[in-house]
Amino acid sequence: MALNCFCVHAQTKKPSFSVSGTMGVSYEGYGLDRNPAGWTGYTPRRPWNQVRFNFMPNFQFGKNFSLPFNINLAALPTNFAGPYSGFIPGGPKQSFKQWIANPVNNIAVNPKYKWAELQLGTQYLRYSELSTGDIGVFGAGFDLKPKQYRFKFFMGTSQPGINYFAGPPSITGAFKRSNWMFQIGKEREGKYEVAFNFAKGKDFISSSMPPPLTIKPQEGFVTSLVTNIFFNKGWYLKLEGAQSIFTKDLTTSSTTLIKSFEPFIKAHTSTTRDYAGSGAFGKKGKNFDIGVSTKYFGAGFQTVGYPYLQPDRLDYTVNTKWNTWKNKMNIVASLGQRVNNVSSTTLRANQFIGNLNWFTQFNDKWSLNVNYNNFGFQSASGINPYGIKNVSNDLGISPTYTWSNSKMSNLLSFSYNYSKYDERDVLTGLTTSNNTHTALLTYVPSYFTKDITPDFSAMYFYNDVPLAKTKLATISSGLSMPVAKKKIQLRGQLQYNLVKLNAYKGDNNFIASCSVDWKITKQFSWNTFLSTNYFKYGDSIVPNGANYLESTCRTGFQYKFDTKKTK
Amino acid sequence: MKKIIAITCFLFAAQSLLAQLNLTLALSGRPPATLTEWGNRKDVLTLIIGPAQSVSVDVKIKTTIKTLDGTVVGATNLNTAKIFTPQPGASIILNSLDVLPLENVVFTGKYQSTLVKTGKLPADNYMLCVQLVRATDYAPASAEVCKTFYLAAYQLPILTQPANEDILNAKLAQTAITFRWAPVVPTSPTPVTYRIRVFEILENQHDVQALRSNQPLLDKNVIGTTQFIWQPQISMMPYAGEENKPDSSNKKIPGKKFIWTIQTLDNLGQPLNPTDGNGESLSEPKVFYVAEKNKGIKSPGE
Repeated sequence: MALNCFCVHAQTKKPSFSVSGTMGVSYEGYGLDRNPAGWTGYTPRRPWNQVRFNFMPNFQFGKNFSLPFNINLAALPTNFAGPYSGFIPGGPKQSFKQWIANPVNNIAVNPKYKWAELQLGTQYLRYSELSTGDIGVFGAGFDLKPKQYRFKFFMGTSQPGINYFAGPPSITGAFKRSNWMFQIGKEREGKYEVAFNFAKGKDFISSSMPPPLTIKPQEGFVTSLVTNIFFNKGWYLKLEGAQSIFTKDLTTSSTTLIKSFEPFIKAHTSTTRDYAGSGAFGKKGKNFDIGVSTKYFGAGFQTVGYPYLQPDRLDYTVNTKWNTWKNKMNIVASLGQRVNNVSSTTLRANQFIGNLNWFTQFNDKWSLNVNYNNFGFQSASGINPYGIKNVSNDLGISPTYTWSNSKMSNLLSFSYNYSKYDERDVLTGLTTSNNTHTALLTYVPSYFTKDITPDFSAMYFYNDVPLAKTKLATISSGLSMPVAKKKIQLRGQLQYNLVKLNAYKGDNNFIASCSVDWKITKQFSWNTFLSTNYFKYGDSIVPNGANYLESTCRTGFQYKFDTKKTK
Repeated sequence: MKKIIAITCFLFAAQSLLAQLNLTLALSGRPPATLTEWGNRKDVLTLIIGPAQSVSVDVKIKTTIKTLDGTVVGATNLNTAKIFTPQPGASIILNSLDVLPLENVVFTGKYQSTLVKTGKLPADNYMLCVQLVRATDYAPASAEVCKTFYLAAYQLPILTQPANEDILNAKLAQTAITFRWAPVVPTSPTPVTYRIRVFEILENQHDVQALRSNQPLLDKNVIGTTQFIWQPQISMMPYAGEENKPDSSNKKIPGKKFIWTIQTLDNLGQPLNPTDGNGESLSEPKVFYVAEKNKGIKSPGE
C-alpha cells in the first residue's frame, strides 16, 4: 500500500517510476493417515508444513534504470537429491552459508542501467549450451551490452561445504565449490551472435569434515565458442564447440603426462581433456520449419555448469513442422539417432528415435490427431550371451467432434493409445512384450448463457506383461465457475479409480480437489487449493484392506505490483 | 681368483635369495573403468610382497598392462618408480596407488590418447602383470605374476519416456504416467536397482533447482525392468494460474511441470558409477508438462 502511495506521489514527478512483478506468501500443509496403525506401505511425499515467501518486484526508475528483485524463500529445507540432500525437517541444521546457498532459496537483485546490469545474489546464468547454465551460483557479477559488444562475468559459490552425516537422514556431503564464468562477444539481435565462454569451478578439499564418502573434490574448466547466424527468410545456423579440462579427483597426484592449462587448471592423474560440439541448421517460417541438429559429447567432456550432463554420445536429428490446408493440417515430425559410447571405453549402443504428430481439422466439427512414437535401443551387454534390445512403439488416435446450438457448444473427444514395449533378456534371449492400451472419452459442454463449465471423462487403461495384468478404470468430472461478481473463481474435480491387478480384489481410489481464487482487489488475490486422496487396497498387498488418506492444502496471498508508467 | 669366485658365489647367493621373493596379486575381475578410481577402492587390487629371506634389498615394482595378445598398453617408468625394501620376516601389503601409480605409468599410442580424454582405457579384456626388479640394475627380483581383467565403463540409463518437454494430457496423467528408460550398459554382473524420482517444479523454480530442493512425489526402486507405470494420485489442477512455457511452444500453457531422473544403484545400494558426472549416478534429468488438452492446449508445435 505504501508503494501505491509512493506511486501516486511519483505520478507528479519526473522521471517516471513504475513497479511491476509480484510478492506473496503461501502455506502448504500435508496430511497422511494410514491404516491399519503401524502400516508403512505408503510414505509421505510432501513436507508436512511449508511456508514460502516470494518478493519479485521490478522497480523501474525512468527509462533507463531498473531494479528487479528475485527473492524466493522457503521456511523449511526439503532437499532429497543432489549435494544438499538430507537437509530436511528433523535432519541436521543448516549454517547461514548453507541456507543462503541452498537451492530451495533464491535471493537476487539485478540493478540495471541502460546496457549495464549488475548481478547480485543467486543467479542461474545460462551462457551457452555447453559451458554453464543448470545450477545456481550465489555471488556477484555483471552483464554489459555496450552497442553490439557483450561482456559477462560472474563469480560466486554454487555449493557450500556440507559435512558427511551417516544419518538418518543421511547427508551425502559436498565440498564447497567456487565458480566463475566469463563471456566476451558480439551480438546483433536477430542477425548474429559470436561469443567466447569460459567457466570454471573448483572444490575446496578442506571444506567438508568429515568429507563425503563417495563424492570426490573436483575442478573443471571449459571454454567454448558460440556462433549463431540468422539469415533472411528464417534460415539460421547455430554452432558451438567446447573443450573441457576436468579433474575428477583433486586428491590424485599431479602429473606431467597430461597437459595442464595453467593458470586456469593444473593436471592430475584423474584429469581428462575432451571436446563437445553442437550444431543446428534450418529454416523457421510461419507455416514450415525444417531443421537438422547434432550434438557430440566426448566421453571425458564434463563441465561444472551442467553437473547432470551425460557425455559420450552423438545425437543427430531432423525436425520438421508443417502447417497446410489453410492451417487446418499440422504435422510435426522428428527422426533421429543417438550413438552412445562413441569413445569405445564401453559397449557401443544405438538408439533410434522417431516421432510424428499429425493434426487435421476436417471441418468445424471434426478434427483428428494421430501420433506415433518409435524408440529403439540396441547394444551388446558385455559377457552375457545376448545383447540388449529394447523397442518401444506408441500409436495414438484422437478424434474430436464439436457441435453447438443456440444455448451451448459441446466437445466430445476420444483418445486411444496403443503402446508396445519389448525388452530382451540378455541371459535367455527371450523378449518380453509389455502392451498397454489406453482409452479416454471426454465431454466438455460450454454454455453461452451460464458461467459454469463442467467436464466429464472416462478412461480405461490396460497393461499386460508376463505375470502381471493391470487394469485401471477412471471416471472424473470437473466444474469451474465464477461467483461473487466474478471476483471468485471456483474449480472442483472428482475422480474415482478402480485398480485391478491380476485376479486380486480391486483397489479403490477417490480423489477430490477444489480451488478458490479470490481476487480481493485488482492487485491482491487469495488463492486456495485443497485436495484429498483416499486409496484402499483390495487383497493385493498384506495387510488386506490397507488404506490411506492423503490431504494437501495450499493457500496464499499474492500481491501484483501494477503501477502505470507515467511521465 | 679366490676373490672372483667368492664374489660370484655371493652374487649368485644374493640373486637366489632375491628370486625367492614371493608375490601374491589379487585383482578384481571387473575393476572400475576409471583407472584413478582403483586407488579409492581397497578391494580392487592388492599385492603382497613376501618377506625377504635373509637380507633386506631395495626393489621396484614393474607393472605392465597388456592386452590378451600380449600387446603392451602401458608400463611403469622404472627410472622414477618408488623403491620398496622388503625386510626379512615381514610382508608388505600394497594397493593400487603403489602398484599402478598413474603419474608414473607410460601408456602407448591410442591407449594414452583415450586415457587423457576419458580417464579410461578402451573397453576390452586386459592383463595386469607385476614383477619386482632390483632398484639398482632392474634385474628380476621375483617371478612375474599376471591377472586378467575386463574393463568397460558403465553408461547410465538414458531417459526416454516421457520425452524431454513432452506435454501430457492431464486426464490421462492423473491416472497413469508411463516412464521408460534405456538400461545401464553393459549389463552389470549383479542386479542393479533403478531408483526413479519425480519432482514437481514449482512456480519461480528452475528445473535442476527443483530436483535439488524439493521432496520427490515419486521415489520408487525398480529392479529388472526399464519401465514403471506411475499412478500419481495427484490432482493436476493448476494452482492459481500456474503456467509454463515449453521450448517447443510459442505460448504459456496452464498446468504443472515436473522433472524426473533415475539413480542407478548397485547390489549394495550404492551409486553404480560414482566416478563420472555428478558422483551420484543420476541420469540426465528430463522435464515434462501436464496440461488440460481439451481446454485450448494442443500438442507441441500445434
